[in-house]
Amino acid sequence: MNKTQRNIVVILVCLAAAGAFPFTVGNYWIRMFTVIFMYGALAQATNILMGFSGLVPFGNVVFFGMGAYITGIAMITWKMPFPAALLLAALSCATFTLIIGHPILKLQGHYFAIATMGISEAIRQMVTNLDFTGGGMGLNLPLPVLGPGRAYYFFYFLMLLMMLAVTGATYLVTRSRLGYALRAVMANEEGGRSLGINTAYYKVLAWAISAFFTGAVGGVFAYWYSYIDPPSVFDISIAVRFIIMILLGGAGTIIGPILGAFFIELLTESIWSKFLSFHLGVLGTVIMLVVIFMPKGFVWWYEQRFSLRALLSNVRKSGI
Amino acid sequence: MLFLQTLINGILIGGLYACVAVGFSLVWGVSNIINIAHGLFVILGAYITYWIYTLYHIDPLLTLPISAAALFCLGFLVQKYVLNFVVGEAQESSMGVFMTLILTFGLARVLENVMALLWTGDWRSVTTSYSGTFLDLGGVSIPYIRIVVFALALAAAWLLSVILNRTRTGMAIRAVTFSLDGARIVGIDLPFIYAVTFAIGAGLAGIAGTLVSMIYSFSPFHSTPYLSWAFVIVVMGGLGSIFGAVVGGVLLGIIEALATVYIGPGYQQAVGFMILVLLLVFRPQGLFGKQFLK
Repeated sequence: MNKTQRNIVVILVCLAAAGAFPFTVGNYWIRMFTVIFMYGALAQATNILMGFSGLVPFGNVVFFGMGAYITGIAMITWKMPFPAALLLAALSCATFTLIIGHPILKLQGHYFAIATMGISEAIRQMVTNLDFTGGGMGLNLPLPVLGPGRAYYFFYFLMLLMMLAVTGATYLVTRSRLGYALRAVMANEEGGRSLGINTAYYKVLAWAISAFFTGAVGGVFAYWYSYIDPPSVFDISIAVRFIIMILLGGAGTIIGPILGAFFIELLTESIWSKFLSFHLGVLGTVIMLVVIFMPKGFVWWYEQRFSLRALLSNVRKSGI
Repeated sequence: MLFLQTLINGILIGGLYACVAVGFSLVWGVSNIINIAHGLFVILGAYITYWIYTLYHIDPLLTLPISAAALFCLGFLVQKYVLNFVVGEAQESSMGVFMTLILTFGLARVLENVMALLWTGDWRSVTTSYSGTFLDLGGVSIPYIRIVVFALALAAAWLLSVILNRTRTGMAIRAVTFSLDGARIVGIDLPFIYAVTFAIGAGLAGIAGTLVSMIYSFSPFHSTPYLSWAFVIVVMGGLGSIFGAVVGGVLLGIIEALATVYIGPGYQQAVGFMILVLLLVFRPQGLFGKQFLK
């Protein structure tokens, strides 16, 4: 078997396992994995912009919140069915980046990150204060008509589908002109532009794809939880969480963000049950250790054949 | 009268904002570290004052040097034994800056958790015998404590500029911001300078914390506003500029106070963030241009 065949076999085995999984375990684990798939999809969606172009959209959670709210409002106020509301939410998020994308994406490095954070916080405050969003009281969405038992399976497979769709999109991006243009931005934006690459166009396009999927995941989340309020869907720590997943797994790789999501979520869950009063501290410590020893992520470490020396050389290289 | 009162409130609170931002700005400007834990440093300073005041009944103003010194030491150790491992990368690439950002995010979660264990998550505040007294200027009333806080906050910023301009270490810090290679060539001990810079930034956060404890209530889980003020002010005033931070702080104070009264209390922070985004798009060099550590 060559490498491609082996990869296909691994992917098929994973898919079969994911398909059979919910029928062999209890609701606790189904829910746990739905959350993992959700974060996997969010991390992967942000990876499309961050992993290839090096621009870190710190406030990308704004699309999660907007997607959740637009889905909610479309279903409650305009009585739209869930799939239509979800599509509307995803398209609105993508359109929003097309409007703000050009001026914001001109910013370099951390200024871009801070601007997206500012947008996210400003929109959160507005949603909290407006009337049609339900303000600080939040929104109650219509319950799924499936009944509670089947809803577990429904949202499990829907989130899995989301994660697979974003992963497929990421795979396509890596092979397309867009992927090459984004890598040119990361390596040297001026150089790319002088070769005739319209970097501004590709950056906006990548952000729009990222926002489309983030908004869709937000919409599914809103329908799943059936109650949303500004602090829960515009929480900047959701963004920090999936950015950490991307870094941990490996930015710019296809499998990395998903591995990161599995690792962080399972770790959080086990810490939560074992160190009830110090779980934040343990999580913080793990984050610090990862950044110091494995700044390029799991996939990189796998390529180094899990060598400890490679971890230590990171400390030497990036220190002063 | 309402306008005048609002304006004065805004200016006075703006001094405190400046004090919160100036250390954050210094660290970002010198070492290219975006310190997400800065808000937690402020809260820690507030808790130190609260602790000493509750246990030994020492006046909160007298605890100012203690919280400054404690945070200075903590900051020095954090930079020397944690952040210096990644700070080299931060100078090289934009992803490197992100590593320091995520690292300090981790640090912030640890601090938050330690503080919650030590002092619980309850809201605390320091109430002194003179907390309720105020200066009456015919319709406009100004609490004495706010005047004192304003004066001390500006004094802290002034002290920082004296350190940077008059001492050997201060000049070395400025040299690092002008040219990293030049600083290396003349034999400046970079790891030490980064540690001192971070320590000064943390010490200023400690001072701000003591001042915060006297006029606000605080809890380990509500440090984000301090961080977001610092972000907005740094973008307003320009990176690493003390003068910019002071003017930016006072401006933000005035804007927030006016927004609270004339638009609605819920929009107070939204206005700040919108200014942040607009400034980044239209004037990323800050209101006064680049003025590194002047």
